[in-house]
Amino acid sequence: MSTFDIEFAAVTDIGKIREKNEDSVLISSELGLGVVADGMGGHSAGEIASNIAVHVLEETIRKVNAGSLKMPDTFLPKLDKIERKLLMAANLANAAIYTTAQASAIYKMMGTTLTGVTFDGDNAVAVHVGDSRIYLYRDKKLVQVTTDHSLAMEHVRRGLLTKAEADKSKIQNVLTRAMGIKKNVEFDLLKFPVKIGDIMVLCSDGLYKGLTEKQMQELLEKGQNTPLVKLCKQLVRVSNDNDGQDNISTVMIKILPAQPLTLRQKIKRFFSKS
Amino acid sequence: MSDKNPKESLIGTDISGCEILQKVAEGGMGAVYKARHKALNRIVCVKILSPALANDKKAVELFLSEARAVAELDHPNIVNVYNVGKERGYYFIVMSFIEGQTLSIMLKRRKVLPVNLVLDLFDGILKGLNVAHEKGIIHRDIKPSNILINSEMHPKIVDFGIAKKVDKDKGTTKTTELAGTAYFIAPEQALGRDLDTRADLYSIGASMYYVLTGQFPYNGKNTIDIIQKHINDPVPDPSKIRKDLPPWLAQAIQKLMSKDPDKRFQTAKETYLFFQKMRAEDQLRLKSGASGSVIDLETDSSLKIIKESPVTNTESIKKKRHEALLKDTAKSFNQSKPVLLPGLNESPAAPVRSEAPKRQTPPPPPPIPGNYPSQNAAINAEVSPLGDTPKEPFRWRNLIDFAWLPVLMLFSLLVSYTFFLFGKICSVHVSPNLGFIANLVSPLTASQNAPYQLPVAGVCLIMLAAVFASSSIRAFARSTMGLLVIAFISYMAGLFTPQVPYWDIKGIGQFIFSPEYSLCYFVIAGMWALSLCWRTTLTKAEAFLGTALVVLTVVLAYTATGLSIAPYTEGAFIKWLAFLGLLFTLCTVYYLTTQKGVHSSIVAPTLCLLAAVACVWTYNISGLANTMNTTLKVLASKINAGEVSHPSTQIDKEDDVGYVSVFQSDAFSHLNTFKRINLLSPEEKYKYLDKQITIFTKDAIPQSYRPLMIEMLSAYYLSGPSRMTLLAWDYALGYPIQNFNQNAQNNNAYYFLLTLLYWFGILGCAANIVFREDA
Repeated sequence: MSTFDIEFAAVTDIGKIREKNEDSVLISSELGLGVVADGMGGHSAGEIASNIAVHVLEETIRKVNAGSLKMPDTFLPKLDKIERKLLMAANLANAAIYTTAQASAIYKMMGTTLTGVTFDGDNAVAVHVGDSRIYLYRDKKLVQVTTDHSLAMEHVRRGLLTKAEADKSKIQNVLTRAMGIKKNVEFDLLKFPVKIGDIMVLCSDGLYKGLTEKQMQELLEKGQNTPLVKLCKQLVRVSNDNDGQDNISTVMIKILPAQPLTLRQKIKRFFSKS
Repeated sequence: MSDKNPKESLIGTDISGCEILQKVAEGGMGAVYKARHKALNRIVCVKILSPALANDKKAVELFLSEARAVAELDHPNIVNVYNVGKERGYYFIVMSFIEGQTLSIMLKRRKVLPVNLVLDLFDGILKGLNVAHEKGIIHRDIKPSNILINSEMHPKIVDFGIAKKVDKDKGTTKTTELAGTAYFIAPEQALGRDLDTRADLYSIGASMYYVLTGQFPYNGKNTIDIIQKHINDPVPDPSKIRKDLPPWLAQAIQKLMSKDPDKRFQTAKETYLFFQKMRAEDQLRLKSGASGSVIDLETDSSLKIIKESPVTNTESIKKKRHEALLKDTAKSFNQSKPVLLPGLNESPAAPVRSEAPKRQTPPPPPPIPGNYPSQNAAINAEVSPLGDTPKEPFRWRNLIDFAWLPVLMLFSLLVSYTFFLFGKICSVHVSPNLGFIANLVSPLTASQNAPYQLPVAGVCLIMLAAVFASSSIRAFARSTMGLLVIAFISYMAGLFTPQVPYWDIKGIGQFIFSPEYSLCYFVIAGMWALSLCWRTTLTKAEAFLGTALVVLTVVLAYTATGLSIAPYTEGAFIKWLAFLGLLFTLCTVYYLTTQKGVHSSIVAPTLCLLAAVACVWTYNISGLANTMNTTLKVLASKINAGEVSHPSTQIDKEDDVGYVSVFQSDAFSHLNTFKRINLLSPEEKYKYLDKQITIFTKDAIPQSYRPLMIEMLSAYYLSGPSRMTLLAWDYALGYPIQNFNQNAQNNNAYYFLLTLLYWFGILGCAANIVFREDA
């Protein structure tokens, strides 16, 4: 039982030069889920891939919660239930994209990134593949939580490039892992405790290309009291003004102190399963 | 654009006056087809942009830029472009079709390429590349599979497809593919830095390394690993692998593969001029023979595989980094407050990597305040595979398995004796007039059981079960077949040689080279060949042995069945049986010698061998079967069997002569006839037929064959001619064995066979333990 309330906001923008928006975002306060997916592949394949990713993810979690889909006991039994749920959903989404891609010549090369966060007690659990990012804003500091699965970041990891070089590198767009390319994809699974006041920013690469971490941090600091949706729009707008070469998407999640429950909510919670 | 699949829709269609014939290759950008230019009537190559990308302006531009780039270049070492455009919604490039192979395929086929040939090829490649470079075109993906060699050994560079990709894209299109191929990529290209023509020279160096040594300059677990080794690891020395490389060439390759472009040869021209100069010097030295160390460029020493030296390569660096990281994280666990590590950029936050269906993620340790709980576990999991695998201990288990050998010996003796006993008990049912198969099953079909037959049959069944159960013991696993054959032969020995006591081995020595014994050798060779057929993988030596045994088996089958009566070659089917046998033999040999066949099916070679033996066997006994059949048919047509239309007619049993005269006229009326002969009692029938045979054949058929002839004739009268033919063939098929059985009563051939099998089984079992595969 979470001891706080969670507020979600999401914005996606086509950017200045793209003809299509290949990003997909999804937020669900019911499931406590926020997802960003950034599709790739010619034609309209990118849109389709990212769309499948977020929807299969959401649907699977919903089904598992409702009990209409059972997780096999053999599926990573050592992980927490929530981690298993998230991973299974992500794997199913990957399988769905891969199958669609293989079925048609037009969609053959499609793929997508996926970055999703859900909550379990005091912890945030995130699943991540590709070059979308999760930033965590806490105590006036903004830190990137995820690692990009791009060749440039692989080089950074081995010390072959510096972070600054990587940000400008041409190979930043070369992904080393993405959904839909292979039958099985290795997801990063992260679990970390959250505190009241934290803001999480999930974003596609379009956002951080037009917005340095410093700028982002400043915007978040200034916008402490602005409504989350407004803040979200503001981030996207600034990024678009600065760069705008790509689709820009962001999901923002704010951890708020728990509101006292109304009587109706109390009754509802009393009769609900968990 | 439609959703049409280009594979299906394009072949046979017409694009820009070219009829598409077949697909040659397919890549991310599109497919390459072989086509016929109708007007010129020549074979061309048509490259078609993938329909998925046809609406993508960048991809189209990129695709067309390839055509324009190559069209600018007119050089014999670069593929020619004839036409480019869009038709039926497909973007296409028409290029010259080069009949030949890529350099990589050539290397795979020939394994080792002579140094001089490689230098000749790269001379051309560098000349072509130089022209492209002079026009400012960088290929960016030079590799052996992008170099086509035609039948005159003339190289042509193809696939300028990504020539301009990186510049035009400016890194906005997301992709999972890197421009360039990991094994040959220049460090600056792998790092995403600005490129110039010298990147191609690096790839030339890497390609030469690969072509000359047969090994990639860098190998790794995955693409990223390989790419990073190109950036980081020291340049390998090709002369460590290939000893006959001239020192200057090894140095030149290393120079081409310098990490720093400034340290390479600066242009393709400089490179090939250097090669030409050094080759000329080598030639001079060879001719004059002045130098002490003349390198023979023509001979190719075998290639040696060297291990990577673990000095400063990426692997070891990685290990060090992991160790450092471990220390870092251990320290940071003690800090209580900060949620995010200062070195977070370097160490990814809690990468609990789960490759979901394949591998299980290590369980996250109990949460430690202020940190990501699973970080430590993840790093541990990554470090541990780097440790050395422990040395395999001495295999005591093999020795223990040897303790099973005496058990197996006793067991096979027991099996052998039980079945021998059963055969002896059943031998009362054996009739010399029956064929081989009929005799084998006679105990089952007999109306009366011999004393103790049923209990011993039960014991035999238990024994059979034990034989099958024994296959679960590792040391016995492969002896099951042998035990079954021993049981079968023991049964036959008991069945057919009742008067010889068990295990009387006297007098074996004097007969072992007699012709009948080839049947024994046939059984042994056949068993051995079959056991090899049942192996899933064969070494070359085993395949050779298998081949020899298969041939030996078939030859022995031929000699073992070699009768004094020549095969009946007039029958169309029989005539081909010999060839069929030969064909099946070849099939078996083919299956044994090609590993693939053995892998895919162990049943196929076995069936082929059995079929080959069956063909040869049947072919050899066909003469006997045919002679018997013709003789019997003639006899049957002559003998009066007392056929009448009215069964009520009585036969005068006393007067044989009279009844012949009465019924002779009705001999060929078949419809609604009734053979009075069938009414006679067996003794009377025998007497009557014996008399008739004597009348018609005089003494041509020896007395010993009389019972057999009469048996078959009575079958003819009872069930018709086809029944008789079947019996004759059964008899003929079993004749070599029956012959053997008769001889075996005198010379203990069965015991010889049993002894052979016995020791064969023991040896096989011991070999099984020694050469076990699962070690």
